[in-house]
Amino acid sequence: MSQPTIPIDLILSKLAEEAEKAQERVQKAPDVLLGPLDTSIASSPYEIVYEEDRVKLKYYTPVTETQFKTPLLVVYALINRETMLDLQPGRSVVQSLLGAGIDLYMIDWGYPKRKDKFLTIDDHVNGYLDNIVDFIRKRHNVPQIHLMGICMGGSFCVMYSALHPEKIKNLITTVTPTNFDTDQGLLHIWLREVNVDKMVDTFGNMPGDLMNYAFLLLNPARLMIDKYVGFYENMDNRTFVENFIRMEKWIFDSPDVPGETFRQFVKDCYQKNLLIQSKMEVGGRRVDLKKITMPLLNFYGQFDHLVPPGACDLLTKKVGSRDVEDVCLDTGHIGIYVSSKCQREFVPKIVRWLKERDAPVKTGGASRKALRRKPKAKPDPLEKEKTNNEKG
Amino acid sequence: MTQEQKGPEGPEALLSAWMKTATDFWGSVMEAWPETSPSFEAPPPSEEGEAAKVRMKEGMDSVLKNWQIFSSIIKSPDLQESVSKGVNALPEMALKMSRVAFEGFFNLQKQWLNRMGRIGRSGEAFKFEDLDQGPYKAWMEMYEKEFSQLYNFPQLGLTRFYQERMSQAMDQFNRYQASMGEFFHLLYLPLEKSNHVLREKMAALAEGGKLPENFQDYYRIWLKILEGHYMTLFKSPEFTQTLAKTLEATENFMEAKQAVLQDLLQSLPVPTNKDMDDLYRELYLLKKKVKELDKKLQDGRLEEKAP
Repeated sequence: MSQPTIPIDLILSKLAEEAEKAQERVQKAPDVLLGPLDTSIASSPYEIVYEEDRVKLKYYTPVTETQFKTPLLVVYALINRETMLDLQPGRSVVQSLLGAGIDLYMIDWGYPKRKDKFLTIDDHVNGYLDNIVDFIRKRHNVPQIHLMGICMGGSFCVMYSALHPEKIKNLITTVTPTNFDTDQGLLHIWLREVNVDKMVDTFGNMPGDLMNYAFLLLNPARLMIDKYVGFYENMDNRTFVENFIRMEKWIFDSPDVPGETFRQFVKDCYQKNLLIQSKMEVGGRRVDLKKITMPLLNFYGQFDHLVPPGACDLLTKKVGSRDVEDVCLDTGHIGIYVSSKCQREFVPKIVRWLKERDAPVKTGGASRKALRRKPKAKPDPLEKEKTNNEKG
Repeated sequence: MTQEQKGPEGPEALLSAWMKTATDFWGSVMEAWPETSPSFEAPPPSEEGEAAKVRMKEGMDSVLKNWQIFSSIIKSPDLQESVSKGVNALPEMALKMSRVAFEGFFNLQKQWLNRMGRIGRSGEAFKFEDLDQGPYKAWMEMYEKEFSQLYNFPQLGLTRFYQERMSQAMDQFNRYQASMGEFFHLLYLPLEKSNHVLREKMAALAEGGKLPENFQDYYRIWLKILEGHYMTLFKSPEFTQTLAKTLEATENFMEAKQAVLQDLLQSLPVPTNKDMDDLYRELYLLKKKVKELDKKLQDGRLEEKAP
């Protein structure tokens, strides 16, 4: 039997090389880490045009002439902050949308305090969101607006569009969980077993720190070890360090989630999966997905471990609209917004899609028929789409 | 001298001797009052001083008389017998308690030894055999059988409710500690397992002469194995149940701790969380009502304006 050959000499020489590189890195690192670092996030200028309790509405300063007749309202999730959409120059969804000439509004849900623990999904959807939509409609003197939701914010947008379809011109959902009957994601498995009533009765609002810990636990090898190994390997690179710190700032900036909202979201969605079945009730009214009759563009990530494809791709089959489109991107949950590759696909697709549907709504039946027309297929080599033209 | 003439033996003899010595001692203390000592220099007499002296002497007299009564009672043979029986029972009780503790400890040790015996066995990648929760289950069983009931002992007296809440808090803290220990142990298992698997993989690569030269490659292999193990663990029903159990234990402990804090805060001029929650609830309901009425008013005004 031949002896196994272990190239000890090669391993040792590689180790020596690595040690030398590490030493150089450690010597340069203090210059970077202790020097001036630009780690500011959410630097696109805006003004607060509406406030209600802790909720604020941001209106971003236009950078070019408005190209769209209808303003766009972006609704982020209650988990983490909307600053992710404007994380850094060159990778900012906000700047890209502004650059396309869109009148852009974004909801800042703020930081819930103990007094907010009684706020329900109804308060957020039929309360704050409805008031904000009415405000924008009045401000621009338009009957409808474009609505875009992200993650849990997208779920709220779906509920809102079903309850107030007359106010929404076009609906865009991104990484939005609507179907919770899937084992593709760990959150879906874990939350089914959790006693959410006891959690909310004990904690009140769901602490942001607890949620941060849960998110880290989804992949501790990558998120708690490999990420920081990567930082160590690049800590002499100023640009890398700045972008890393920006992401760290955002990812651990977790507001608490109002207790009653969390309770209903987990019970009705994660545990009973009522939303996709059109059985969920918000404020005593049933959320019937068939009432979503406006065009729908639905983005999700193929490698999203938080909101897996199985949680997103059923929506277009359940809504009443015939103008629906699924777009699956080769990325994870936040890669859609921050990866440079997806930046070239994501916002341009939204802009094109909205432009085709931005004609103002005229009174009368003919215009409604025009809105239900299927869009013409336009082959685009950069796009990877799954268009759903068949309704179950 | 016959047996009867020898007098009491064993604990009774000790007790009698001790009582006699103590009585003699205190008697001599009372007799040796300061005034009788030759070196004593009496302070100038004063009314207050005299009154204090009298009070002190009366107090000492009363204590000595009580002691004399007690020692005369304790001399009775029946009482001495019952006291000595009680004293004899102490070693038996201590023996029983330590037997219980040792049995529990040996049970735990058996579990640990079983586990130690598994070290060195080949670990198949991405599989977790029975997740090794035996020691934690054994500890919880022992705790619930022997110690938990102490915390649920009925409390008596004016402060019984406060005592109850404090006992509950301590009981829940122990349960919380045990659950967290079990949970962190589960989180540790993939690390342990991936080290085994990495060793085996490296042995296989070495035999095939394909050992990587770069340290980075070893790290990436280990990371991939670790990631896989965590995914397998997290999808297992055992982990989901342990997670739910740990959360519940945490919540129970927080509730019990809040109850104790509430008791403490009541004595301070600060509102408690419960007080604030009640206030916030009222505020929330009032605001909601006002918003609804405001909306109705706005809609009413719009309807009036419309032709």
